[in-house]
Amino acid sequence: MTERSIHHSTIVIERTYDASPSRVFAAWSTREALLRWGNPGDGWDLAYDHFDFRVGGGDINRFGPRGGPTFRNETTYFDIVPDVRIVSASSMTSEGKHIFASLITAEFILAGKGCRLIVTEQGAFLDGHDKRANHEAGWSEMLDKLRIELLRTQVAA
Amino acid sequence: MTQHSVTHATFTIVRHYDASPDRVFAAWAQKDRKARWYASHAGRRSQDFTLDFRIGGREHLSIAGPDGVVHTFDGQYQDIVPNERIIYSYDMHLDRTRISVSLTTVELKADGTGTKLIFTEQDAFLDGHDTASQRETGTRSLLDSLAAFLATGDPD
Repeated sequence: MTERSIHHSTIVIERTYDASPSRVFAAWSTREALLRWGNPGDGWDLAYDHFDFRVGGGDINRFGPRGGPTFRNETTYFDIVPDVRIVSASSMTSEGKHIFASLITAEFILAGKGCRLIVTEQGAFLDGHDKRANHEAGWSEMLDKLRIELLRTQVAA
Repeated sequence: MTQHSVTHATFTIVRHYDASPDRVFAAWAQKDRKARWYASHAGRRSQDFTLDFRIGGREHLSIAGPDGVVHTFDGQYQDIVPNERIIYSYDMHLDRTRISVSLTTVELKADGTGTKLIFTEQDAFLDGHDTASQRETGTRSLLDSLAAFLATGDPD
């Protein structure tokens, strides 16, 4: 019988980027950009089964190390203020088990000519399957990749 | 220009109920039962309450306060383990303004012949419209209503 537990934890992580809030927001709201930076693991696979960025819409993605366990994330967008903030709720499963639920807030704040991004993940870790340290590492990896994405699209513009 | 802000907070309320976990769970899971303790305010039952209690299912509640402001709750269920746990996310509106987005976990544990209920809510309060202490106060009131309902024998 499964030992049931919930561990609640809030992670706050921020970065300042040399790009306008509008460009950073665009990288959070388009599938093509997210495929490039939204993968929490180095060299992991990421695919979207569904993508509908609007209030009341959501997305479903699958990600994980090549040849390793697959994680499935289902997200619903509750609040979107263009170029200002996104608030969404997500459920993560792995091999059919619910391992994590969260509320994610992304705030895009004008900082000089750039953008200060603050990500707050309020999470509920279920039944000991996942832990905070994994998520801190995952967000750090993604936000570093976002910097590369923004440089790449700046050069292309 | 609107000043935007987000305030994050977490609160936990622990209650003991003199009812088995499956009775407490049924009070949350069955629409007609839930309506009696949840979809009421100051003695008035909401006429606008829908509940689709399953993973991925939605819930909607709209109720007017004494000042005429309409409070609307729209939620969706993220995880359900019968008689053990319920996890849902929701937003709240006052009239047409979204004031918060939240993630709630309800854990039920057998405690003698009764149930220990652990209610934890993680909130994002938007643009200064609500506060953690107000939300917690409102939630305590809700959990009191649940106690009163269970004490009546929780008829359906």
